[in-house]
Amino acid sequence: MRLQSITLTNFRQFRGVQTFDFSSDSSKPVSLLFGANGAGKTTFLNAFTWVLYGTMSEDVEEQDRMVTDSVWRALPIGSSTEVAIELRLDHEGQNYRVLRSASLRKQSDLQPKSSPEVQLWATKSDGSSEIVKAPQEAIHKILPEGLSRFLFFNGERIEKLVKKGAYAEVKQDIKVLLEMEHVERAIAHLPKVDRRLTQELKKYGGDKASEIQTEIDDLRERETNAHSELDGLEADLATLTEERERVTDLLRQHAVAAPIQAQRDAVTNELKDARNARAAAVAERANLIATRGFLAFTETLADKTLETANSLYQKGALPAPLKREFVDQLLEQGACICGTPLIEHTGAWEHVKEWRQRAGLQAVETVWQQLSGQIAPLSSKRAELREDFEQITKRISDARDRVDTLEASKSELDGKLLDDRLEDAPELETRRMDLESRIGVKQQRIGSITSELERIKNDIDKKTRERSRAEVTDELASKARTRSDLVQSVRRALIEILAIRENNMRVRLDAELKKVFRSITHQNHIPTLNEGFELTLHKDVDGVQLPVPKSTGENQILSLSFVSAVSKIARENRKERRAEGQPPKDAGVYPIVMDAAFGSLDEDYQQAVSRALAEMAPQLVVLVSKSQGLGKVVTELMPHVSHLGVIQTHTTAPENGTDHIELEGVSHPYIVAAETDHSELKVIK
Amino acid sequence: MTSGSRTEKQVLEELSKEERDLITRVLQIERAKIHVSAYDATEDLLAAVKEIIP
Repeated sequence: MRLQSITLTNFRQFRGVQTFDFSSDSSKPVSLLFGANGAGKTTFLNAFTWVLYGTMSEDVEEQDRMVTDSVWRALPIGSSTEVAIELRLDHEGQNYRVLRSASLRKQSDLQPKSSPEVQLWATKSDGSSEIVKAPQEAIHKILPEGLSRFLFFNGERIEKLVKKGAYAEVKQDIKVLLEMEHVERAIAHLPKVDRRLTQELKKYGGDKASEIQTEIDDLRERETNAHSELDGLEADLATLTEERERVTDLLRQHAVAAPIQAQRDAVTNELKDARNARAAAVAERANLIATRGFLAFTETLADKTLETANSLYQKGALPAPLKREFVDQLLEQGACICGTPLIEHTGAWEHVKEWRQRAGLQAVETVWQQLSGQIAPLSSKRAELREDFEQITKRISDARDRVDTLEASKSELDGKLLDDRLEDAPELETRRMDLESRIGVKQQRIGSITSELERIKNDIDKKTRERSRAEVTDELASKARTRSDLVQSVRRALIEILAIRENNMRVRLDAELKKVFRSITHQNHIPTLNEGFELTLHKDVDGVQLPVPKSTGENQILSLSFVSAVSKIARENRKERRAEGQPPKDAGVYPIVMDAAFGSLDEDYQQAVSRALAEMAPQLVVLVSKSQGLGKVVTELMPHVSHLGVIQTHTTAPENGTDHIELEGVSHPYIVAAETDHSELKVIK
Repeated sequence: MTSGSRTEKQVLEELSKEERDLITRVLQIERAKIHVSAYDATEDLLAAVKEIIP
């Protein structure tokens, strides 16, 4: 299939009727279109999928606004307008015209959802054309929709092709392109044909042949059931394996993080202890102050008390060491301890009585004795308090320093482990082990069903041989037997052909992928398409193959290389001798339309990709912005360009600056001031 | 089922003329309807078998 031209009518930004020609030969297979951001490159890319399948990619916003905004705005309420795309192409020696169009009646400024209709015309060699019935079916026949992901794509999003989880879909789509899907379908359909044929054999084949056929039918039924169980198990296994990969990935990151995690756990425990120690020391100090703090203020008081006591002592004002009770007893007895009689109002009696005034009370003396006894030890208690206080203050200060240090360490380790995917390693490990065991169970079951299928197959072969030998007199039954044998041998051959094609395709795709990738990248990375159709990247370090984490740019290059390899193998594939018979001349030829081909690539990669692009497909349409496409890209691509164009942005906001683009030494308007916002396709050559 | 060195060509060469004819017809029929997911090929394939072994 080759593109000839596209005509857009009021299709989103493209106001009015605008055409771009793609017809080219193999020497100059490239059409190059420049457009500013928002000019309509993505819209132009989506024009192809819309005209062919009525679909647009998810990144196209406001998908209901199909008609150019200014056209819709100017349309009177109650009037209708048309949105349409016409694509001309040739395929296997026949020219086609595809037209998808919708008429929209205006009832408000909001555009209604369109219901486009598709029509297809085939042009005969005499120039006359005829309408093709069931046009959508015919379009799918020319270009199956599953293939569009390889043929019409956004360079910035193409890396999705090589992301995990895409393999199964990619493999399925590739089967169509590489002539495998219909073989699979034939293998699935032939047993039904056989069943119909053997019904006749059972009916007319006589007792022996009928009995054998019934046994074969039973075996076939068991085979079908085993196959469906196997399909289910394989789907489950794929899901479980993908989940295990995801969990293992997280655990792998854990392995890197494990020492940090352990260190953080230790620091966290230590910090807890340090905070407790700090709190305990602060509490101890508070207790010290509460119970013994007053001692700090007793130094002056004690000194002063001692001083006062001493002064009173000096003055003789201190109570004598004589108890008042003792003097009272002498006075009562009327005799002094020296024997002198103490008669009331005598000199001796008066003298002793005077002593009574000077004698102290027992209680006062006791207290005085105690107080004076305590003044001296107070000084040592104060010294003790000071010492204890100094010690506890130092402990608090040390504990604070330790907490500060540990808090800083923990913050740093937290920062390293900030990625929340790195949490919960034990749970992840439990999950991984659970998945592992479930995978094991599934694999075991798959193994036993596979062996059972092998046994059933052998039994069927054996019974079929028996059936061939069984006597069949009825002509119809005999014919049914011959036909059934034919169907079975064809099915066996198809199974072998499919296995050969699958393996062959993968090996060739892998080789081509390696070749294209090597021609683009300057890294010593090697891509591989493994048996599960998974695209991996690794590097050789002294003979050891190490997986390489893929960057966005590398994923793009890998995807481009893969698309290029698929495109090349599809072309080569059809040239070989095939079970389908001789292929048409352009079999396996498909165009590639590519938006933002150089999305995330460095300048040196842009040059290498440009060089590879020119050889990537027999026809290539590249959409680029000025910033992506000038310089090395133009230098590399220009010798291969047959059609050059600009998607001119017409803007009502020229204050943001109009712009020009210089191509082949001539300046062309790129962004121009206009009365309405829209885009125009300008053909430069 | 298949050894690594066998080719599609070899498989085809080992088939009888009827088998080769049927394989070609079966693949042509299936390829023509590859985009029709609801297609039941039984009748068409049966007709092809009966065409080859009338």
